[in-house]
Amino acid sequence: MTDTPTFELDGEAVPFTPGETIYEVSQRHQANIPTLCYDDRLEPFGGCRLCVVEVEGYRNPVASCTTVAMAGMKVRTATAQVEKHRKTLVELLTSENPHKKIDPLRGAASQELVTLQRRYGATGERFAGKTSGTSREDDPNPFILRDYDQCISCYRCVRVCAEQESDYAISVMNRGFSTQITTEFDNLLEDSDCTFCGQCVQTCPTGALADRKALRAESLPEPLEATRSVCPYCGVGCSVDLMSKGDKLVAIRPARDGGANEGALCVKGQFAFDFVQHDDRLAYPMVRERGELRRASWDEALDRAAEGLAAASRDHGRHSVYAVASGRAPHESTYTLQKLIRAGFGTNYIDNCSRA
Amino acid sequence: MPQPTDAELIATWASQPAPLLPLLHAFHDRDGYLSDDAIRAVAKGLKMPAADLFGTVTFYHHFARTPGGLDQPRVCDGPVCRMRGYDGLHAALTDASPMPCAGRCDGPIPVLTGHTVRVGTSAGALQEVPTPLPPAYPGKGSECVFASIREPDRATLDGYRRTGGYVALETVRADASGVLGTLEQSGLAGRGGAGFPTARKWRAVAEADARGGHKTIVCNADEGEPGCFKDRALMDHDPHALVEGMTIAALVTGASVGFIYLRYEYPQTVPILQKAIDDAKNAGLLEGFDLMIRRGAGAYVCGEETSLLNSLEGKHPFPRNRPPYPVTHGYDDRPTVVNNVETLCAVAPILRNGAQWYRDLGLGEHAGTKVISLSGDVTRPGNYEVPIGLPLMELVDDWAGGPLPGRTVQAATMAGLSGGFVAGDDLSITLDEPALRAKGSFLGAGGIMVFDDSRDMVDVSHQAMSFFAHESCGKCFPCRIGTQRLAERLGGQGPSALPVWNQEVLDIGSAMKATSACGLGTAAPLITDSLLRYFPERVQQHVEKNR
Repeated sequence: MTDTPTFELDGEAVPFTPGETIYEVSQRHQANIPTLCYDDRLEPFGGCRLCVVEVEGYRNPVASCTTVAMAGMKVRTATAQVEKHRKTLVELLTSENPHKKIDPLRGAASQELVTLQRRYGATGERFAGKTSGTSREDDPNPFILRDYDQCISCYRCVRVCAEQESDYAISVMNRGFSTQITTEFDNLLEDSDCTFCGQCVQTCPTGALADRKALRAESLPEPLEATRSVCPYCGVGCSVDLMSKGDKLVAIRPARDGGANEGALCVKGQFAFDFVQHDDRLAYPMVRERGELRRASWDEALDRAAEGLAAASRDHGRHSVYAVASGRAPHESTYTLQKLIRAGFGTNYIDNCSRA
Repeated sequence: MPQPTDAELIATWASQPAPLLPLLHAFHDRDGYLSDDAIRAVAKGLKMPAADLFGTVTFYHHFARTPGGLDQPRVCDGPVCRMRGYDGLHAALTDASPMPCAGRCDGPIPVLTGHTVRVGTSAGALQEVPTPLPPAYPGKGSECVFASIREPDRATLDGYRRTGGYVALETVRADASGVLGTLEQSGLAGRGGAGFPTARKWRAVAEADARGGHKTIVCNADEGEPGCFKDRALMDHDPHALVEGMTIAALVTGASVGFIYLRYEYPQTVPILQKAIDDAKNAGLLEGFDLMIRRGAGAYVCGEETSLLNSLEGKHPFPRNRPPYPVTHGYDDRPTVVNNVETLCAVAPILRNGAQWYRDLGLGEHAGTKVISLSGDVTRPGNYEVPIGLPLMELVDDWAGGPLPGRTVQAATMAGLSGGFVAGDDLSITLDEPALRAKGSFLGAGGIMVFDDSRDMVDVSHQAMSFFAHESCGKCFPCRIGTQRLAERLGGQGPSALPVWNQEVLDIGSAMKATSACGLGTAAPLITDSLLRYFPERVQQHVEKNR
């Protein structure tokens, strides 16, 4: 058996699997390498250059996210020079955007730049000049705020849309400082191939893309809390964090460590949660009495439903009953429903809403 | 003649190698601009996401997006043309827009309209002029790539053959075994600027596995560096030398496909190269090697080899992360040689005359020659093939006639703009990499622009940095923001206290040099470095005048 190869990370010999990047290995150790264009689900991009590290014998620092570890390398992750360049880069980024508070409601990764600004003491005073990116205030979609004034052109949104979602709805327009995140022909999101899955929002490290529904709760004073749950919409079982302020559900976020979804979510799971605390939501069984709904007990409501279905089957034949199982129902419920329809009513008229 | 339909254009190109750029050009030429419908049709025809294609089209500044845009004049605003009256010419032409240096610094200001370049200094007197030949050789030694370029009919197959053309190719076709050794001993290194040993590159491709695909030879003819126009002279006057060099590269490495990636600003070169390829092919010289021209569309960064490869493949032309390198993962992710025009043109003469002959062309320890595009404030601008190690001022004074009467040389840029400039005592430098590196510069692609004592080097630096900011691709942060901030500071914005101004400029420059992802970002701050080194008083005046 061959020995596991190692390289030296800040003076400590660390083992690695051939093919791993310096950054990936560093994540298992104490090294605190900053990044902004990195998302571990995406191909390493090498754009932000914050993850540069010094490798002995190399003329220039290298981007640790794109540099594959090699046995015997001597890597230093936080030399004075490297930290100075990182500070310059964060100050440059700070200078390209107008200064405003980025509410954590904007998205899961929205505090990444703010955190680095604090770490490097970047206030926006140095390198002042023209700002980049133009917000799309004209885009009226109810889900995704396109606040590109805050954009730093890391392209995580474009890459997650292409690499994870295969939607290719958004892309990069122009060059250099005029770069702008766009859709085909610079249109509104609803005129593009966007499915509003919200993946771009949740990977954005500056809050330039923001959860518009969550921002409705910006003025609520309570702290933002996360409660792990499972998305109720379909049988995939995506893990989500229910984001609440006090008793109010204010947003949903996909769980990066969710076994079924690994951070992914669809438009329904991401944005369709208003029903949970909506005034119209049924909170107890009701039955209709002379055209008017009134509150009832479960026993009374179930008896009434059973009588109605049995009467229809008796009067109009077994095929007069048809069931559509909800895509939100788990296997067990769906099984029970088809059993009821097939064995109970004697018909095969059973379908599922997900078959559309 | 009826215009081809969308379907006909797509049918023509969709099955060809590297189809995106030629297909976009076909629509651009037919319609006079690239309409939304054209982009939709191309996206559908090549099965690309429309959003990606739209974004990629906007990356290239020569694709017009409004009706009639193709035929609107684009006027060169490069550093030399600015000295020759760009402002007036631009103002005098209707609907004109500026274009970055178009590689005509050895003549009047070029104006590109459609696919015609006319040159002149006043709107009423623009004319088409062929590419100037290199001036008669003024040196004491001898030339390599220019040795026969002034022969009559050199651009024709017969003319080329008259002075030994295609002899090397025929020798290599019979036996290619000695080529790599000869090139190695000759010391030939990349003439596009990077200086990578040519033999080592070819050997890596020869030894690499094509993994079920094919190997490719790419000629980088995207001569976008301001102040560089040598490849234009080589291609226009000696196209067969390039065809021969590429075909030898193919034989040595086992490549079956070749592309000449030609910059958009050289439309007159297209038929010249195409005729050379066709004639060579008809003469049976290219057997087993499919050689094609692909035109760029206006993007300096596509001269960076991995951007170029992405551009050829129809991808967004950001530079790639390396490793892997093009020698194993180049075009179509397969082994690929990417060489500059001048490098490829040097191959056949070296093989004919031997490695030692080429080595001896250099002065002292230095091997070989380098074509210098010399322009600006000199009496005889033009392309000069100098022995490596020639003193700069010998080139300027003895070869090119020196500065204009009554003037003295104040500064000279290196590597076009990428090497910054030298001035003062450093003008006594010799033209070789070790000497230039010691001064924080490099020879690069060999563009040298001379500025005499009437020029404002702060303004020159501002123009240079504005060019880099315009051409920064936007992939990496230090270059995207750094070039912009440096251009602003050279243009009169930024801090008004000198120490603060200096510190900001130095910090941006050092971060760009250390962390940028490609050569554009690492080279751009050499401009501000040279300005601060040679002209600190001018910087002080510049900063303090804005108080």
